[in-house]
Amino acid sequence: MLSARWLGLLAAGLGLAPLVLPPFFLQLLTEIAIVGLFATAFNLLMGFGGMVSFGHAAYFALGAYAAALLVRRAGVPMLLALPVAPLAAAAGALLFGFFIVRLTHTYFAMLSLAFAQIVFTVIFKWKSLTGGDDGLLDVWPPAFLKSPVAYYYFALAVVALCLLALRAIVESPFGYALTAVRENPRRARFIGINVRRHQLLAFVVSGAFSGMAGGLFAFYNGSVFPDFAYFTKSFEPLVVALLGGAQSFLGPLAGAFGFKILEWLISRQWPVYWPLFLGAIVIAVVVALPQGFVGLVGARAWTRSAGRR
Amino acid sequence: MDFITSLFPWITNGPLVTVQVMSGLSVGMFLFLVSVGMSLIFGVTRIVNLAHGSFYMVGAYLMVTMVEILPDRSWAFWIALLVAPLGVAALGGVIEVGLLRLIYRRDPLMQLILTFGLILVISTLVLLAWGPDNKSVARPEALAGSVRILGQPFPSYYLLVLGLSPLVAVGLWLIFYRTRWGMLIRAATVDREMLGALGVDVAALYTQVFVFGSWLAGFGGALAAPTVAVALGMDADVLTTAFVVVVIGGLGSFAGSFISALLVGELQSFGILIFPAVSIVLLFALMAVVLIVRPWGLLGRPEE
Amino acid sequence: MDALGWPALGNSERKTDRSAIGRGVAPGRPDGRLVLHALGLRKHFGGVQAVSGVDLAVAPGDLRAIIGPNGAGKTTLFNLLSGDLAHDSGRIYFAGEEVSGLRPHELCRRGMGRTFQITSIFRRLTALDNVRTALLSHHRRHYNVLIPARRFYRDEAFGLLERVGLREQADKPSGILAHGDQRRLEMAIALASAPRLLLLDEPTAGMAPRERHEIVALVAAIARDTGLAVVFTEHDMDVVFAVAARITVLHQGAVIAEGPPAEVRADPEVQRVYLGQPATRPR
Repeated sequence: MLSARWLGLLAAGLGLAPLVLPPFFLQLLTEIAIVGLFATAFNLLMGFGGMVSFGHAAYFALGAYAAALLVRRAGVPMLLALPVAPLAAAAGALLFGFFIVRLTHTYFAMLSLAFAQIVFTVIFKWKSLTGGDDGLLDVWPPAFLKSPVAYYYFALAVVALCLLALRAIVESPFGYALTAVRENPRRARFIGINVRRHQLLAFVVSGAFSGMAGGLFAFYNGSVFPDFAYFTKSFEPLVVALLGGAQSFLGPLAGAFGFKILEWLISRQWPVYWPLFLGAIVIAVVVALPQGFVGLVGARAWTRSAGRR
Repeated sequence: MDFITSLFPWITNGPLVTVQVMSGLSVGMFLFLVSVGMSLIFGVTRIVNLAHGSFYMVGAYLMVTMVEILPDRSWAFWIALLVAPLGVAALGGVIEVGLLRLIYRRDPLMQLILTFGLILVISTLVLLAWGPDNKSVARPEALAGSVRILGQPFPSYYLLVLGLSPLVAVGLWLIFYRTRWGMLIRAATVDREMLGALGVDVAALYTQVFVFGSWLAGFGGALAAPTVAVALGMDADVLTTAFVVVVIGGLGSFAGSFISALLVGELQSFGILIFPAVSIVLLFALMAVVLIVRPWGLLGRPEE
Repeated sequence: MDALGWPALGNSERKTDRSAIGRGVAPGRPDGRLVLHALGLRKHFGGVQAVSGVDLAVAPGDLRAIIGPNGAGKTTLFNLLSGDLAHDSGRIYFAGEEVSGLRPHELCRRGMGRTFQITSIFRRLTALDNVRTALLSHHRRHYNVLIPARRFYRDEAFGLLERVGLREQADKPSGILAHGDQRRLEMAIALASAPRLLLLDEPTAGMAPRERHEIVALVAAIARDTGLAVVFTEHDMDVVFAVAARITVLHQGAVIAEGPPAEVRADPEVQRVYLGQPATRPR
């Protein structure tokens, strides 16, 4: 866990960035923050909760579309529409999660993927509501937040608040119980924890914050498209979390930074090669992690380290 | 009864229904070819190969190339159909030996993620090799038109599919149930470790199964090439449908894939008539229901 | 009633009632004074009848040993009692209320604690956090997301660790503790839920003789101090006869004897089936 001093430096650096960086890089940092939030929310479930979902794009998309629909179809101002994003995503996570947490491991992953594809297909086909393949355009923040600098600060603030909330959840009794469920579900049962309910709640929390990331992205991007829910999008937080380290709270954020920088560097030179590169990274990460999920899930950094009372 | 006929006016149209059923069967057979390979690979190696759709796509693209480079004769199509899948099989072999062997002992989810990485790599390589434009393969002259079945038009090429598919299915059945190799595969699906303990070279078996499964996917792609737009993105489309088929039928079950593929083929065929917008959602909803109620599919085996 | 005033149970009695149980009708009312009252429990796996018509009555403060040769059905019985396994027929009453079919976490809330044959703890957490987590759950705080967990129950957790003799190990990751200490920790975790009944599945498994007596003395002391009832399975007869207040003997899924140690020891059936055999080293 980063010490207060480093965090302070980071905050100062981010705060002063607009003075030195051109708008393009501010936008890149904004994207990094949003992807970092998505990946951290995802990792609450994977690294901390021990449940790997292959369908988290569904909640990202639900959040993005909920906010976009309110703005475009109902004329709701952005600042009121954005808070709906996590709520919509949470509702979806509650509905789908109810079924998904009954399964484990591979089947858990597959069912989460199936539900995400359902969300994608519904968005894609329901043209009258969602615009289908054309998406929804002109999803912009109000004028005072529209500039790259303004939205940068806004997104950073929201992401920071969300990360603080996620951190609080991890450190809370709820988080302790989730750790217990991950480490030894049987023992968790026998100390009175309703394992399935706890997993479902974790799923909903993870989905909610993923939806918030989706909402932020909608207004950053100015438009939403069905492929926000496509299964390839579901792998993004997974790869980012693995890259940055799923064993620690800030790992996914670091992974988001590395991932986006790499994407920028490679896409500008050889745009065609980016998926190839990404695929190669994914393969390399898997080959290089001998213990796979068991090794990463809940390793030392997540657990209460010795000496902390 | 009147209520039904008013909702679905075509339902009393016997010939139309027949043709729809037949076309559903054809679609089902394409799906079967791709899905059975995926199911087979899972059954033996316990890896869900997400790159299976990519193999299908490579098969279709190789078909395009083969038809292009062969002289414009009537037999060219058939030679291409024979050779293209072999290319995919070779690709599968290289991947299995070079990459998958490294991760067999890993967490199945990690393996799944690796195959996802393969999707990205293969699709970019296809883009680099063949370019971004859509390609097409002409149907062979003899099968280019359509015939009349009970007065309804029906593409002749689908007759080929309908004709070949039972042959392929029977061929597969013969292999699995009448050859020693097939018996080893079925045994491996049930208990790999025991097989190894009995002295069978399980690693070699894995490679053979993966190659065979890839061949099946490639054959499906090559066969489908004249009927679809050969384009990037066909890997994801077929993957999602094949995935649905395999899950519903049961990962690892040959008969399950067969029944499920036909079921899904018919659902797609009639779904377009009944609920054009919603048919695909129905498919995924069906898959979700199966996963909820009976995760190992219709004919699959519950995991330990 | 037998000589000590205990309801005389065990399936050698109650033959008429058993047929009623098979039809799902409870024979009379359960005894509300008892902490645990199981009637006519049956469980089969495939063709094997693992537990066939077992009655068990445990009063508050009872120290009950369940013994029997391997395969007698002890662990299956435990799993039935703790909700891990569903019984085919029979009923279970806990403190007068029927609990048949309740799931483990619900039984825990009602006051049933359990330890396992293979120690089941949270290995990557410190000993203190193991107990703290159990306390958080017991006090129903485990849905709280607002306050850091480490602010809660530090003293209570230390108290529990102290009682099982693990105070010094509080900050160590529990996975590195010695086997015997892990078992003590498991006991502390179970105690954190303030149980009225403790089910201990082979509490001394894998321990050296001296450790064995220590842990059993600990269990007896805890039972004595808190009035909680303890039911445990054991292979080590020395331990059993030293500590148990009553012994239930299982053989092939059925109760063949039950009573105070001296009585059980003298029972000819028990001697024939179990004690009469050459002494085997408990595993």
